[in-house]
Amino acid sequence: MSLAPANVDELGELLRTRPGRLRLCGGGSRQQRLPPRGDALELCCRRLDRIERIDAPDQTCTVEVGVPRAALDEALHRLGLELPCPGGGTLGGLFAADDVGAASWGGPSPRTLLLGLDGLLADGTAFRSGARVVKSVAGFDVHKLLVGSAGRLFVAARLHLRLKPRPRAEAWFRRDDLDGPAAAALFTTLCQQAIPPAAMQLRRTPRGVELRGRLAGRASTVRAAQQAFALREAAADWLDHVAAPTAGECLAGGARPSQAADLLALLPPGSDFVMHGGGRFELDTDGPATSDQLLHRLHALGATACIVHGAPARRGLGTPTDPGAARLAQGLARALDPHGLLV
Amino acid sequence: MPSPEALLTRELGPDRVLTSPDALLAWECDGFTVHRSRPRAVVLPETTAEVQRIVTLLHGERVPFVPRGAGTCLSGGPTAGPDAVVIDLARMRKVLQVSLVDLFAVVQPGVVNLDLTSAVAAHGLHYAPDPSSQSVCTIGGNLAENAGGPHCFKYGMTREHVLGALVVLPDGSLARLGGPAGARAPHELDLIGLFCGSEGTFGIATEITVRLCRDQQSIRTLLAAFASMRDACRAVSDIVAAGLVPAALEILDQATIRAVEASVYRAGYPADAAAVLLVELDGAADVLAEEAEEVRAIFAGHGALRVEQAQDASERKRLWKGRKGAFGAMGRLNTDLYVLDGVVPRTRLEQALDGIAAIGARHGVLLTNVFHAGDGNLHPNISFDGRDPEQTARTIQAGREILQLCVDLGGSVSGEHGIGSEKIDHIAMMYSPTDLEVMARVRAVFNPDGLCNPGKVLPNRSACAEVAKWPQMTARVLDAEAGRP
Ligand SMILES: Cc1cc2nc3c(=O)[nH]c(=O)nc-3n(C[C@H](O)[C@H](O)[C@H](O)COP(=O)(O)OP(=O)(O)OC[C@H]3O[C@@H](n4cnc5c(N)ncnc54)[C@H](O)[C@@H]3O)c2cc1C
Repeated sequence: MSLAPANVDELGELLRTRPGRLRLCGGGSRQQRLPPRGDALELCCRRLDRIERIDAPDQTCTVEVGVPRAALDEALHRLGLELPCPGGGTLGGLFAADDVGAASWGGPSPRTLLLGLDGLLADGTAFRSGARVVKSVAGFDVHKLLVGSAGRLFVAARLHLRLKPRPRAEAWFRRDDLDGPAAAALFTTLCQQAIPPAAMQLRRTPRGVELRGRLAGRASTVRAAQQAFALREAAADWLDHVAAPTAGECLAGGARPSQAADLLALLPPGSDFVMHGGGRFELDTDGPATSDQLLHRLHALGATACIVHGAPARRGLGTPTDPGAARLAQGLARALDPHGLLV
Repeated sequence: MPSPEALLTRELGPDRVLTSPDALLAWECDGFTVHRSRPRAVVLPETTAEVQRIVTLLHGERVPFVPRGAGTCLSGGPTAGPDAVVIDLARMRKVLQVSLVDLFAVVQPGVVNLDLTSAVAAHGLHYAPDPSSQSVCTIGGNLAENAGGPHCFKYGMTREHVLGALVVLPDGSLARLGGPAGARAPHELDLIGLFCGSEGTFGIATEITVRLCRDQQSIRTLLAAFASMRDACRAVSDIVAAGLVPAALEILDQATIRAVEASVYRAGYPADAAAVLLVELDGAADVLAEEAEEVRAIFAGHGALRVEQAQDASERKRLWKGRKGAFGAMGRLNTDLYVLDGVVPRTRLEQALDGIAAIGARHGVLLTNVFHAGDGNLHPNISFDGRDPEQTARTIQAGREILQLCVDLGGSVSGEHGIGSEKIDHIAMMYSPTDLEVMARVRAVFNPDGLCNPGKVLPNRSACAEVAKWPQMTARVLDAEAGRP
């Protein structure tokens, strides 16, 4: 059964009347990444789909969490603005999953673009965190906990977001003429630039390795980067995720740019791989034995990763978490959702 | 039983445990001089292990403690009550690692902000967050305050540049939050994002991993003088509306210009201007030439009285000298300076400044404004004589009204200086008791016994006791305020 409140008031009412354990979902597109929800009801936020405000001069907006990313993009583009991070689905889902991160090394990511939120604890208690303005350090930033929480700490109802002007010039590029080590080296070099590509990804598919991305800024900077690194113009093409394998598993992780070469070298034959400019990567494996071996090696490299597609019981297993950080995470879950209602 | 001081001395030796009243004087306050209180002792650790032993010991003895960097905070954050021990991290100032490939550094918390940039400058790198106190303040203090600075308009605040930290939690245990592979692992929470800005109440960071930025090819610094503050603010709005993203957009009002020009920070600003706007552009040289022309056209459109463009590094330094030295210059106008830190939506800047002027006039206080215009982050500064209780009271009251104005205009009571003890009562202007209760729950996960930097950020019983430690007059003002219908 799925509950789908029509507005924020209804959402609060629904939580206050305590329907028991809930699994939050935005559009539902990333649900397969979580462990099974068992007997929990699905609470779908798709109908909370109002763009409440776009303040173009201030470059901020407030949206309900069920607003589809594409709908916000359309509204923003008309005003010459953009939400400068990758990721799709609903905005609530995008921020709560944060499964793509930034498109470029040090570039804007959901954690940097979330200025504040109006939220509800599992018992329906409404709270606010952060602000609508681009800068505020008033109080503890509870809203930053939404990012990556996968809906398991509290329910976000409205998000206050930072926007950026759309660049005056942009061009997508593609390099598919390099072998793995050379492509990884170029990926690292581009991450080190004073003005790195606005978006970039290193992919390996059965067809080979390729580097894709988007240069943005002024026409002359775009041209200069194209020339300096032989970045041939290509059609816009961005991949948030590797395709979920029908059999086997999928890992998502984080690594430093210079580890791109190591990651490529570690890949099992035939495995699809994408690494975003912000350091997040995804790859698929043929099954648990390969994934476990990879997790072990990734940890030894200093990278982090976890299983995001596979048998339900394996989703979420990953490289070891620091024990102190794990204790804090458990404590936060207990503090914000003491009865474990959000699963 | 030996006292906690004796136990600390056994750990660190007598040179690194200070207890005599004279020695403690230097730790009596931070940049928020209204709140003064001498701590019980000051300890000077040099390693994570030492911090861990100190915290474990104090936690065991139920003695409160307060981490401290350079003490430049402007909201009373590192000021300790008389029952608390200050853990001063200024001796932990080693740059532990620099990665020239992945562009990050691991530093101890006492590393001075500008020293980090100096350490990597030869490699064409810098650490982007640049509080105006950057020649003194520490990376640990920056992390705890989520510090900003003029160049944060383009490059973001401290949080955007922190990848991770090793933290001694208030019970003496360790937690490693984030790291070079990313601030948040895909299956973890953004704990470092939450820790950043926790104002020393979540634990003590003893190793901090920060991003380094590649220096831009070229920099253009322009200064325009305007006949009215309105023109300066509108020029800012137009620059932003044009899609330009300058590295910095700073405004100084006439009173500030005059204070600067009469001080050692003299920068040659036109003393008759109502406002000067400093715009810094960075990027590829050919692009900057185009952008500087656009900015000049916007200046002209708003009737700029004079426009200057730095021709070389020394001229750039001069143009910035007045801005960077503004607080110091204003500090000369009287014995004390109350630096406020409100934020409004950028489009409400004019309205906010009019309101601030009216509040200043109503309370008869000497007000100057210097601010990060691009972010709508105002720094109204009140010069006052802290020895005069009546003047202090008017100052505090004017400050309170200014922050309420910022909130009423849709903004925040703090853009970068934090809540500390200064705004512990003001935070309720922005948040409901429930909002604050949720924050308190989160703090309790890190700091369940409340021993780490008590009486800061969130109002509670102990906070009232803290306020009572302020000078009598301030406490009376706040009491009177609380008693109002
Ligand atoms: C002239 C002047 C100009 C300024 N300009 C700016 C500006 O442009 N932007 C801005 O944001 N701020 C500015 N500030 C405020 C101040 O410099 C910053 O808040 C700075 O980050 C404080 O650093 P600090 O090392 O002095 O820390 P402190 O003042 O010693 O401490 C600040 C807080 O951090 C905590 N703390 C310190 N070290 C640690 C640690 N290792 N772990 C955990 N907690 C810790 C303390 O308990 C305290 O709550 C300015 C201050 C002055 C005096």
